[in-house]
Amino acid sequence: MRKFLMSLWCSLLLLSGEVMAQTRTLTGKITDSKGNPVSNVSVIVKGTRVGTVTDTDGGYSLNVPVSAKTLVISSVNMETVELKIGQAGDYNLTLKPVETNMEEVVVVGYNTIAKRSLTGSVSKVKGEELANKPVYSFDQALTGKAAGVLVNTSSGLVGDDVIIRIRGAASISSGSTPLIVMDGVPLNQGYSNIINDKINPLAELNPNDIENIEVLKDASATAIYGSRGSAGVLLITTKKGKAGHNALTYDAYAGFNEEANRMKVLNAEDYNKTINTLKWNAGQLRTDTSAKYNDLDNDGKIDIVNTDWQNELFHKGLVQNHNLAVSGGNQSTTYFASFNYNDNQSYIETIYQKRGSARLNLTTKLNDWLQVGVNTQYSRTLSNNLGSGTGTFFAGIPFGLLTAFPNIPVYGPDGKYYTGVGGNSGIVGYSIPNIEATTHLNYQKRDARRFIGSAFGEVQFIKGLKFKSQVNVDYSTGTIDNFWNRDIGDGVTTKGLRQTAENERNIWSWFNTLNYVKQIGADHELNLLAGSEYTRRTSSYMYTYGQGLNDPDLILINASNYAITGSDNGIDGIDDGLASYFGTVNYGFRKKYLATFNFRTDADSRFGNKNRWGYFPSGSIAWQIAQEDFMRPYTFVNELKLRSSYGVTGNSDIGYFPATSTFAPGSYADIPVLTVNNFGNKDLRWERHLQFDIGIDAVLWNRVNFSLDYYNRKTIDLILNNQVLATVGAPNNIITENVGKLRSRGVELTVGAQVVRKKNFTWTVNFNGAWNNTKVLATNFLGDDLYDSKDVNSQYSIARPGQPLGLFYLIRWAGVNPANGLATFLDVNGNQKQVERVGNGYVWTNVSDGSVTTAIAATDRVAQDKSPYPKYYGGFMQTFNYSSFDASIDLQYAFGFYIYNQTKAMLMDNGRSRNKSEDILDAWTKAGDNTDVPRLFWGESYWSTTGSTRWLEKGDFVRIRNVQIGYSLPKIAVGRIKASRLRLYVQASNLYTFTGYSGIDPEANSIGNTNIGLGLDKQRPYLTRTFTAGINFGL
Amino acid sequence: MRHILYSLLVIAVAGSSCHKQVLDIEAENLLRSDLAFTTPEKIEAATLAAYDGLQKDFLAGPALIYVDIMGNDVFDRGGAFGEMSRFNMLANYVLPATVWSAGFDAIGRANRAFAGITANSSKLTAAKASALLAECKFVRAVANFYLVNFFGQPYNFTADASHPGIPLITEDYTYNDPTANKPRSTVGEVYAAIIKDLTEALTDLPLTYTGYTNNVYHTKTRGTKAAAAAFLSRVYLYKGDYANAKKYAKDVIDKTYGTFALNATVGGAFNKGNYTTAETIWSIPNNATDNPNTNAALPMRYSPSDVRGDVVLSPTFLSLATNPKFAADDKRRGMIINGNTAASAPFKFTTKYTDVATRADWAPIIRYAEVLLTYAEAQARTGTGVDADALARLNEVRDRAKVSMPSYTAADFSNDKDKLIEAILEERRIELAFEGHRFWDMMRVKATVTGKYDYNGTSLLTPQPFGANKNIFPIPQIEVDKSKNVLVQNPGYE
Repeated sequence: MRKFLMSLWCSLLLLSGEVMAQTRTLTGKITDSKGNPVSNVSVIVKGTRVGTVTDTDGGYSLNVPVSAKTLVISSVNMETVELKIGQAGDYNLTLKPVETNMEEVVVVGYNTIAKRSLTGSVSKVKGEELANKPVYSFDQALTGKAAGVLVNTSSGLVGDDVIIRIRGAASISSGSTPLIVMDGVPLNQGYSNIINDKINPLAELNPNDIENIEVLKDASATAIYGSRGSAGVLLITTKKGKAGHNALTYDAYAGFNEEANRMKVLNAEDYNKTINTLKWNAGQLRTDTSAKYNDLDNDGKIDIVNTDWQNELFHKGLVQNHNLAVSGGNQSTTYFASFNYNDNQSYIETIYQKRGSARLNLTTKLNDWLQVGVNTQYSRTLSNNLGSGTGTFFAGIPFGLLTAFPNIPVYGPDGKYYTGVGGNSGIVGYSIPNIEATTHLNYQKRDARRFIGSAFGEVQFIKGLKFKSQVNVDYSTGTIDNFWNRDIGDGVTTKGLRQTAENERNIWSWFNTLNYVKQIGADHELNLLAGSEYTRRTSSYMYTYGQGLNDPDLILINASNYAITGSDNGIDGIDDGLASYFGTVNYGFRKKYLATFNFRTDADSRFGNKNRWGYFPSGSIAWQIAQEDFMRPYTFVNELKLRSSYGVTGNSDIGYFPATSTFAPGSYADIPVLTVNNFGNKDLRWERHLQFDIGIDAVLWNRVNFSLDYYNRKTIDLILNNQVLATVGAPNNIITENVGKLRSRGVELTVGAQVVRKKNFTWTVNFNGAWNNTKVLATNFLGDDLYDSKDVNSQYSIARPGQPLGLFYLIRWAGVNPANGLATFLDVNGNQKQVERVGNGYVWTNVSDGSVTTAIAATDRVAQDKSPYPKYYGGFMQTFNYSSFDASIDLQYAFGFYIYNQTKAMLMDNGRSRNKSEDILDAWTKAGDNTDVPRLFWGESYWSTTGSTRWLEKGDFVRIRNVQIGYSLPKIAVGRIKASRLRLYVQASNLYTFTGYSGIDPEANSIGNTNIGLGLDKQRPYLTRTFTAGINFGL
Repeated sequence: MRHILYSLLVIAVAGSSCHKQVLDIEAENLLRSDLAFTTPEKIEAATLAAYDGLQKDFLAGPALIYVDIMGNDVFDRGGAFGEMSRFNMLANYVLPATVWSAGFDAIGRANRAFAGITANSSKLTAAKASALLAECKFVRAVANFYLVNFFGQPYNFTADASHPGIPLITEDYTYNDPTANKPRSTVGEVYAAIIKDLTEALTDLPLTYTGYTNNVYHTKTRGTKAAAAAFLSRVYLYKGDYANAKKYAKDVIDKTYGTFALNATVGGAFNKGNYTTAETIWSIPNNATDNPNTNAALPMRYSPSDVRGDVVLSPTFLSLATNPKFAADDKRRGMIINGNTAASAPFKFTTKYTDVATRADWAPIIRYAEVLLTYAEAQARTGTGVDADALARLNEVRDRAKVSMPSYTAADFSNDKDKLIEAILEERRIELAFEGHRFWDMMRVKATVTGKYDYNGTSLLTPQPFGANKNIFPIPQIEVDKSKNVLVQNPGYE
């Protein structure tokens, strides 16, 4: 490509060479820093079109006008030099290679341009930053790596949501997840019909295959993806072979996982004491005959059992990874092949994820005008997940672990799982099954296979004009096998349950592009691209279940072995097509003034005919200030670019035929019926995102990179799952409509510097930070508060016009009255009220004078100026190299956000016998006690756990994401075994988190990939901490 | 250059076929709404969706359980229904919100079908069209009846029933129409609408359904003349219009709308195989795959188990002291069993719903026994002295259950009409127990709920008087919010 460009350029120059009357001849030789001749270097008389290029010996000879004063000597990947011409006729020059990353090539959608010519906002994360990290999926390793890219790992569970938000939420009800494209293939990003646990399809990719990931952020960069670009785009480029550079690498690590945190719950002694106190205070101890909390086996002796369920169920989970890659090629063919085995066992017993994958990338030049290639990967991923689910499933983790009675044993005297009183069979009102048993006896296995491949052909018609056609496919299947045993836990109700689900998703696409590159004289660079793309996404699922298991040894689902069997099948969430036509114009004037215009139009099958087409234009300009003459005195400024863009993108993550009013088969017991499935809205049209961006990129002293962006993105015509009155009669009281506006504003800063650059010691610092504010400007035409539709029961967060998205909306907690230990709350007017259990009801009194008053109710909720979206977030990476040693430390941070600690709320319950947080030991006991925990009084259950600001906590944290220390064997030693590299290292991931947050984790998020209801910490497993040791070997 | 043009031409041709292929996609397993009313079969299926609405989260289980749980015949073991049984709910509680949504969902489905049938009546015979329209009215009336009793005070709470009921919705909305934001009509207006719908339905509904593979199934689970008349008699009874209650009950007893009779045994209308006997006038069916699931199916709640089994028979119901007409050898005591697991062993349960395994027990909405007792009560109230006809109907129900207890005679009531009425009410309590009647039967006669037990089954709750604020559910707070206070919250829940 480069070669071609150069030759094109040269021929143009030669053609345009003027024959001048008054000329003289200049000659010389251009060499690189090693003294080797450099060919194809352009030598031009400044301000004219007179020029030539060097021959293979680096020599040139040029007739120049006598008036010529300056030669401009430039070459790809070399620093451009302006040479004053004196009287001499011979000018030799040594060109220095460009040292900064500003000369990198950037993939911008369907085209590739020099980063120098880039006018949009793009961050690049190198593959080496993602490789060899003990993560379940590569997206987790993106955390803190790019400015403005928030990556939130919801829990330590295999397959749980990794929430990626580029520049805040892009939508309210529709998706805010960026489009992910790998080597031109749009990837499947999830399944709809799953059983208990979530699935992250990105876990099926091998992180070590990734060469780099480009994060497209502003409209100039994303508009080429039109209707899919609004939430940003992650462009993954996989590794390719390099001609003449044959290599083999073997990377391996092994280590273990452990839980990154533990919530402390009561031991048996404190538990018994607490429950007895609760009951005693409420005068119930004598009357509730079943409350024998310290003699469960009823043998008249105090039990001495003390079980720490977390100890029982957690272990050091083995992690290991083996990655073998070979690559290389010659002038015509290059290849890259890899094999990977990854085994990642959770700190929770029985839970694991194993992946085997293989990749082959191949490109070959058949002749001087045709090049073809394939990029393919196949993987198989096996996992076992929590058979009993998470959240508040009785046997869920961590809910079961945290609330199980500590005064019962794991195993009974018979050596079998204990299922006696307090275990499987309950004390009145509550029982937790034996979690050790359910975790081992129940399972949720998954077997996923995935093929991702593309094949392309590239034809060079004439010089500068290239045609490319590429077909892509991402085909993935997964089989989930869920089993609940019939004896212990959630399976008891159904007397055993087995469910299987098979999901299949297929995405194919075909794009064609016509690319024309032309250099007009020395001043004008033009890069034109036009293309079309057709994308089709299909899916299916098949679900079967059997419940009421006859013979537990025969679990195959058939009618003879189960009381009930059933099955269901259909479309797994997506069945749609997209027809797209697009064009790009890149124009550069004197390499100083750059402009880009994109236009894409998408037609989506899911919209009604009326509003099917969406039009997404964008424009951007950039000014390479450092190239200006007036900057010449400031030699420390290597690069300085000012750029700005504005454009429109759309959001196609809108669900299944949201515009069409449809009926679906239903049943009235045995009678089949036809019922409304989607209320529909034929006027529904695209969500549109209007984004303005202005930024500066700079390189200073050849060692400091600096990038600063400001953006203002307004989302209009938001498609909202509009909650409507039940009297409208829409299913689930929801209609999708184009109501609502959202605005995200923010600043992003990236600074990279080589602080120390000595022969034996280097210290590099990379910092990125983002400030984001996402505000709801409007909701529906009534201006209603919107709740998260993905969890209708958790109405703690709202989208309210004029307020930050996801605002917490809660009753205000006013502490414990030191005089009497009662919980107090503020009503909507700020009056402090206390609540007391009297008889079977609650009595509310004013704290001020003890007078009886009305109860606190939902109407006393107040919108807190607190949102789950961090105001400031980013990462801070440092690497050190000393002699043969290297070390790195990566930090991740987020500030200015809040989390609703529902996990803790459930552990502070005054009315259930489940185990409790150690914090309950701080309960008020006597007048004058200043504490935040109300008196222990059985029956004050509701008000001890109800939704209020009592459970709203600051989430601010700084996390040591990754620490690595490595040692590379000296070249001589490695050379002796004919290798090129041998490095040993130790690594700790997620080592420590500095936070004041008292729940599971400041990233905990129970609803998953959503927009309003983020930041609800409700009983999902702790994150993982991992220690590994590894080896990097290269031939 | 020619090659380029040819190549581009090929691409363009291939592209245009792709263009068509990716855009011409119909939702594969869904039916566009404009096709939903195109054939008589589809129109009928879309009409039947209204019953599915009644079934879902509503009459198939929850609605009946809630009426029982607020009464004194059962207690909520372990507080499975939160503060409902303690009359202590708050405005944002989930259960009332589910009932509200389910009820209006059924009404919405009925209205949608009504509009669809009206617009496509040319595709049907006139008789079929009017019969289907009658089914819509029937469903709408039933949903309105349950909603107005859950969310509004009884008819006789004010002299002219001018206290707030529920919004009356009769239109088919196809978008977020602001006119759907209707204020609550008075209870009187809601009853008038229910009576109008049922009366009209009675005219056009069929006696039985024919032409199906299982005609009896359709006849017992869809609106029929008998179902409409029987339901009308209940509505008039609740309204206190005893003349009309008597009239419509009598029509059913007189076999005007088909033959109904008590089965020989007391539990003869319950449990698998017995759902479509002559005793059943109208039920909501369930089956193994379509039922209110583990949380709300009747057997999950009323049958003993460690997992649910939390609607437990109250000592108040079991004891002769507090349920004096429930003789020790009454055969209906044979429908009471002990818990069969460690945790449920100390408690008593009904055997009316026992299909824990598949949760397919039908929800009995109207049995013939109710019609007899409604008639007896209405006749007794409108008659003078101890009405012989009322007495006979009362005995018809009671005699089926008797072993040693004698039939009632006029002498038992010493010519006191009120004593006869009391006996009928007590009989109604025993006969229709656990079928979603008790609390409302007490409220319509302005009784105080006494002898009501808390979660543990041992401590008594304070008596709950007629007219107390929390005898009715809160309007779901989220609906009040969405209505911008057009919906006025019930007192005590603000």
